[in-house]
Amino acid sequence: MSTQAIPVPGGTSPSTTSSINKFIQITLFWIAIALIWEFGVKALGIRAFVLPPLSKVLSAGWQNLDLIFDNTLVTGTEVLIGFLVATVAGILLGLIIYFSEFARRTLYPLVTALQSMPKIALAPLMIVWFGYGMSSKVAATLLFALFPIVIATLGGLSSVSANLEEHFRALGASRWETFWRLRVPAALPSFVDGVKIAMPLAVIGAIVGEFIGAEEGLGHLITMATSSARTDLMFAAILAITLLAMLLHWIVERAGMLVWWRGMGGQ
Amino acid sequence: MGRENLTVVDSALHERMDTSPAPHPGTAVIQVENVSKIYGSKNPVRAVDNASFVVHEGEFVSILGPSGCGKSTLLRIVAGLHSYESGVVKVAGHAVKGTNHEVGVVFQTSNLLPWLNVTDNMMLGATVRGADKDATSAKVKGLIPTLGLSGFEKHFPHQLSGGMRQRAAIGQILALDPSILLMDEPFGALDALTRDKLNVELLRIWQEHRKSVLLITHSIQEAVFLSDRVLVMSERPGRILHDIRIDLPRPRAPASIKADPRFGQYVAELSHIMGVV
Repeated sequence: MSTQAIPVPGGTSPSTTSSINKFIQITLFWIAIALIWEFGVKALGIRAFVLPPLSKVLSAGWQNLDLIFDNTLVTGTEVLIGFLVATVAGILLGLIIYFSEFARRTLYPLVTALQSMPKIALAPLMIVWFGYGMSSKVAATLLFALFPIVIATLGGLSSVSANLEEHFRALGASRWETFWRLRVPAALPSFVDGVKIAMPLAVIGAIVGEFIGAEEGLGHLITMATSSARTDLMFAAILAITLLAMLLHWIVERAGMLVWWRGMGGQ
Repeated sequence: MGRENLTVVDSALHERMDTSPAPHPGTAVIQVENVSKIYGSKNPVRAVDNASFVVHEGEFVSILGPSGCGKSTLLRIVAGLHSYESGVVKVAGHAVKGTNHEVGVVFQTSNLLPWLNVTDNMMLGATVRGADKDATSAKVKGLIPTLGLSGFEKHFPHQLSGGMRQRAAIGQILALDPSILLMDEPFGALDALTRDKLNVELLRIWQEHRKSVLLITHSIQEAVFLSDRVLVMSERPGRILHDIRIDLPRPRAPASIKADPRFGQYVAELSHIMGVV
């Protein structure tokens, strides 16, 4: 008979915790963290420029809300552009390496070499080449995010089960039909994994680029706050980066759910 | 050589049971003559050695052999998926060069695409072959109840049992409407009960659609229950050792056939040939 999951009325899920209770637990956890931060710092007598209490961080953030918002927008734009360019370029490179024997002998080793080198070493070069503006940050973001997408695209395209390939051959499918109906959907789960790895790397790329040389952006705001001993503002900027990264991660997770057939290869 | 004898038996069969999908003697849809297949060039392995056999139109023929004897290789050669070193292979009168639209292949793995539901999976083969979409859709709609898949049209492969997946896979091939069905241990991965059930269904479908079938199996009971003829292959390098006509009445119901003493005799004979007993 059907093995389709049927929702059981009355709920006999392993966890008996209701959703309200779960929400209360999570809220209490974060309140506890906030309280430990706030009063722990004061109780231990840690000086504010080393670790300011949470209230000081929040008030610094609130007072500089415009500044933080504008810089978040700058960093967010850099990340998005760099990430999209990395995705398109990564897919193209993956396809070229997959289809061309020549590219597999030449381009692929280069890609693997670049993948294993610390990209941070190239970030200053991006400033030299592309200047202090946005393009150098986009370039740094691209550098960080590109390789996981190339590798994941390539891995996905090569992951098609031999059984399914033979089945398509037996059906008399053309190369194009096999590519479009079999290879692309089969490659998507691996591709999505690559994108999930690339997203946080893209954020790192943008921040590193801003550290090295920039006139705006959250990375620049952090270096500015550090040089004027405004640790509270620095923490506010870190908080903004965290929220930005979480938002981007959530979007990628959501989009990745469209590819639900992960781990269900040849059945 | 044995052609005259076969013809005599065929007409005798035909006289006895008018429900039998009578093989047309002489109309060979699969002809394999002295075919050999060698794998590898450094350490060549002879997988198939001078194999010869014929499948007539509407006939159900099984190839029985120990594992690794080259029976799957032989099926892939007929399907146009493998090359061969020497001999002649003809399907529907033409020498085999690559895959052929007269032929549909059912493999041991059901090979359904996990991202397509049952209906779309069953339409896939015909779509890939460029068949008309509406006609294929109508054909698939008609096949679904025959295959016991009613109510599961929109289910995805991971929501089905192994038996249902294999039925959908067979449906995909039937939707191609090939005149020749090649099956490579299609029920080999299923439990014995499901396998018996699907054997009965396969016979019913075969009697309805009247296709020529070449089935690879290592189950003696399955081969005897389903086939008009059973070809026995040797250990590697695979040769066709015996060509045994299964002279049991059709349509075959499992209860009556398995109670028939001749069924037991065929099974015993084949077991003896294969060295099982």
